Amino acid sequence: MPEHIALGKSLPRVDAMEKITGKATYASDVYLPGMLMCKLLTSTESHARIVRLDTTRAEALPGVRAVITGNDYPDIRFGSGALRDRRIMATDEVFYIGEAVAAVAADDEITAQEAVELIDVEYQPLPVVVDPLQAIRDDAVPVHEDLESFEGYGFAGGGNNCTLLDADRGDVVQAFQDADQTIEETYQSQPINQGFLEPMACVANVEPNGRLTVWASTQGPYQVRAQLASVLDIPLSRIKVIAMELGGGFGAKLRLAFEAFPAMLAMKSGRPVKLINTREEAFTLNGPRLETNIRLKTGVMNDGRIVAREAYSIFDVGAYLGAGPNAGVGHALGPYKIPNFKLRSYGVYTNKIYVGSYRASGVADMTFAVESHMDSVAHQLGIDPLDFRSMNAVEEGDISVSGARLPRNGLRETLQAVKDRLGLPKKMGEARGLGIAMGEWRSGSGPSTAAISVNEDGTISMLTGSVDISGSDTSMAQIAAETLGVTLDQVVVPKRDTDMAPFTGPSGGSRIVYSQGKAVQMAAEDARNKLMALASDRLGVPPDALACENGKVYVQDNTPQELTLAQLARMSLTSPQGPIVGNASLSSMPFAPVYNTQAAEVLVDRETGRVTLTRFVQAQDVGVAINPMSVVGQLEGGAVQGIGRALSEELQIDSETGRVLNPSLATYLMPLAVDMPEIETILINVPTDDGPFGARAVAEPPGFGPPAAIANAIYDAVGVRIKELPFTAERVLAAIKGQQPKAGFIDIEALLSGENPLV
Amino acid sequence: MARFEYLEARTLRQAISLLQRHGDEARIVAGSTDFLVRWRQGVWQPKYVVNIGRIASLRRISYSRRLGLRLGALVSVRDLETHPQIQSNYSALSAAAASFAGVQVRNLATVGGNVCNASPAGDTLPALLAFDAQCKIAGPEGDRWVALSEFFTGPGRTVLQTGEILTELRLPPPLPNTGSLYIKHSPRGAMDIATLGVASVISLEGSGRVCRNLRIGLGAVAPTPIRASSAESLLWGREVTPELITSAAQAAKADAKPIGDVRGSAEHRQDMVAVLTQRTLDRALDMARGNPMAFEMQRQFAIQAAF
Ligand SMILES: Cc1cc2nc3c(=O)[nH]c(=O)nc-3n(C[C@H](O)[C@H](O)[C@H](O)COP(=O)(O)OP(=O)(O)OC[C@H]3O[C@@H](n4cnc5c(N)ncnc54)[C@H](O)[C@@H]3O)c2cc1C
Repeated sequence: MPEHIALGKSLPRVDAMEKITGKATYASDVYLPGMLMCKLLTSTESHARIVRLDTTRAEALPGVRAVITGNDYPDIRFGSGALRDRRIMATDEVFYIGEAVAAVAADDEITAQEAVELIDVEYQPLPVVVDPLQAIRDDAVPVHEDLESFEGYGFAGGGNNCTLLDADRGDVVQAFQDADQTIEETYQSQPINQGFLEPMACVANVEPNGRLTVWASTQGPYQVRAQLASVLDIPLSRIKVIAMELGGGFGAKLRLAFEAFPAMLAMKSGRPVKLINTREEAFTLNGPRLETNIRLKTGVMNDGRIVAREAYSIFDVGAYLGAGPNAGVGHALGPYKIPNFKLRSYGVYTNKIYVGSYRASGVADMTFAVESHMDSVAHQLGIDPLDFRSMNAVEEGDISVSGARLPRNGLRETLQAVKDRLGLPKKMGEARGLGIAMGEWRSGSGPSTAAISVNEDGTISMLTGSVDISGSDTSMAQIAAETLGVTLDQVVVPKRDTDMAPFTGPSGGSRIVYSQGKAVQMAAEDARNKLMALASDRLGVPPDALACENGKVYVQDNTPQELTLAQLARMSLTSPQGPIVGNASLSSMPFAPVYNTQAAEVLVDRETGRVTLTRFVQAQDVGVAINPMSVVGQLEGGAVQGIGRALSEELQIDSETGRVLNPSLATYLMPLAVDMPEIETILINVPTDDGPFGARAVAEPPGFGPPAAIANAIYDAVGVRIKELPFTAERVLAAIKGQQPKAGFIDIEALLSGENPLV
Repeated sequence: MARFEYLEARTLRQAISLLQRHGDEARIVAGSTDFLVRWRQGVWQPKYVVNIGRIASLRRISYSRRLGLRLGALVSVRDLETHPQIQSNYSALSAAAASFAGVQVRNLATVGGNVCNASPAGDTLPALLAFDAQCKIAGPEGDRWVALSEFFTGPGRTVLQTGEILTELRLPPPLPNTGSLYIKHSPRGAMDIATLGVASVISLEGSGRVCRNLRIGLGAVAPTPIRASSAESLLWGREVTPELITSAAQAAKADAKPIGDVRGSAEHRQDMVAVLTQRTLDRALDMARGNPMAFEMQRQFAIQAAF
């Protein structure tokens, strides 16, 4: 293999210096002359009619410059997808505690807060439904009376159902009849917050030319622009979104968040307006994930072959479909060959904060259920769980749920790597256990663009519209550097905004390196071809006799003829083709699945129920690691999030009112460094055909497996199967003592109307 | 978050007079680690904030074998953790301090603040109770002394009257043949409030069988930190046997009157009192019998995270 100049090197991030010296600027660091501070009045009712909303006293407070209510906005509903179910601010009705009802802009934060407290609001309470298993019933209290009139509503299932995803193959009824054994279980995952460090922040300003500029903390500046244009009912071209440094998002910042509040206040007051969420607001106003109930039924033959799977899942989406239960369906199979299946996944409204995205929304919930269930089935059959997985694992050429043919992949290699590292099968000591889980995802796709220009000094300017997420700018710069044969420090990565950079999809869903990186590679190739063409012209040799490496284009056959990129760039200024600029656009990328295997070792304290994670090993097929350090960091971070989900994180929600009970980092417990064993990460390299240099997506899968791996390890240690997340000491102890868990059997047929054809 | 006027006292006398002047509209701050949280939440809305953090005389630590330990109210939790004399003579207190928040917060947080904040879950409180701390209180009328076991009147409530300041804590010198241990039960291994905390201090008669002195402090299982008195009286003056320790652990469980909250149900807390009391007693007894436990090990026990 030839020596690489940038590819596969663990180079420090291009923005490392500004980050570690604290100089990187986030949205909350933006200060403009005359800037006002915004505070929100939010609903204290779970579901109510607003009978009176009077802002007179707030407006009269000295220092208050503008007050807005829902009536200041055009009467428009928007949504995160096709279904438009949400107003940016409540008008005559509130649907959950925390829904925005009014906003104030004042000279300082305390005055704004004081003004909020002077707004008089009177509610007339309406019936409330909080439990999704109640809400899904035909006779449930409706969250949205006028649901059927919502644009994009296409589900006829009744009750508060708003979405259905389904998939069927083969003859499930027959297959279950023919199966030697059938195992049925119900799992429940908990509401969970994304845990980004930087709470939402934004600044809005109306420029002298009348355009609106928004400094945002976002993963998707173009999504914010489009949704803002829609809720303000102004042309998209009148908005510029500047994506500032992102202090974590994990899906929570994919779409419009609170930008419309300072925007409207800026339009009304004529002054720049800033909004910074408190940590409490990051828990109560901003879409988390809510509980998911999953019922799985599996038919197996005694030799271990899975012949049928039926899966019903109910995703609580809260008051609005802030993010779909996207992946709820296909992942109900896991990465296994199952010839007959029937999969149903329902989204259901409740009077709770609406859901947002979180690192492949729904897949972690589903993987917890499926991978725990796999162990249950294996144990019932008396087969080692790893062997059981191995004998049913999908292979190249199989047809996936979506109908695509599975290309070459590293699934088996990840299983083998974990097996070898841990020396499986392995007998553990008293109260110690080991469990594994597998996960699957796809390399994210979607519109991507890039422009590469070669500067007169031979450096490269790389322009993309995507937001840096976990070092993705660095990986993209490495792709450009490798393609053009320059070192990473020769690549300039400018700060950009929606006016300056061409459209691209958001930074999320594991799409940046695979798809956006591909666009960068193509743009860099385009620039390289132009450099070679120019050099060919000047050196009088055909382009294929040339190479572009080490900052120059040279003739390959040892003739000492070469032109540096700087020389070529300067020549290009007067060449017929003009300055060297490479461009690329793409709308989607081929299906490239990602697989991983994760393993947890635990020690369970039988007297307290305490679970200590003593070892964690994971292997993932990453295709090719553009920057191994960055890839490992991403995989570790994902694993930690999954471990938190398994052991301590839970957004506790009041069962009567839907109120978030623990909106603080002191009560919503994300694990800390001291709680983690060393995470051992093994990179498997089975390159993709189409990703840049063969890279696959990396980001989402590491968060999937930890809950099931840990549940399986607890089972191995003390013989109890925990089907509810998280595995708190109390819950584990109760299971050890033989007490019944809360998540019982869910009778889906009884929950939905008997005539419902979709059941 | 509400506006307030910030006042700073350089002497105790100044502080008392500021407090007298502003009465119930004033709030004392020392390290402000509780204050800032409560203020931001809007729970505390004082008109005046009186910072006593710069009164140098309240920062002292002194230890003597005859008089025991004197801790100025401003002594930081970090000092409790690292001070060699405290580590060797009141090790459960140092270990409790080590289980508290993270280093940055420990540097700011004061022992006086932890006591006066009177959280049932305050981490230093079970150990301070088990070491029989006495509180020195300064006020407009002069000084008075109150035993720590009498100091708390409810969650966040103490015997302190308007204008009074806690100035010092005194811990009697340890008896010979003493062992002590604190175990904190909390989901996280750092930066976490105790779901439950138990500190036991046991001293044996010279021969090493009979219990000469025993105090058990329980945190987060009642409206205030409490002593497990019925458990203590079971062992006091008796020959210590494994059976008796188990009974004492059960008695401690009965002494506890926990509530349920986001950290755990009342039943679970109550059950854990027996388990942790048993564990602290077993280990403290072992130490009292002359088998010292390395401080690092004690620290590990103190931060025994229980997910
Ligand atoms: C991130 C974080 C983590 C924390 N973790 C823990 C933990 O693990 N364990 C734990 O126990 N606590 C914890 N706390 C709470 C807090 O740090 C402690 O209670 C600390 O000891 C308070 O001391 P302070 O000096 O900061 O008090 P302050 O906030 O200054 O005051 C606290 C209260 O005591 C009063 N007060 C203070 N000093 C005196 C005095 N000398 N006389 C009279 N009244 C006085 C004040 O008026 C106020 O009501 C944590 C706090 C934070 C912010």
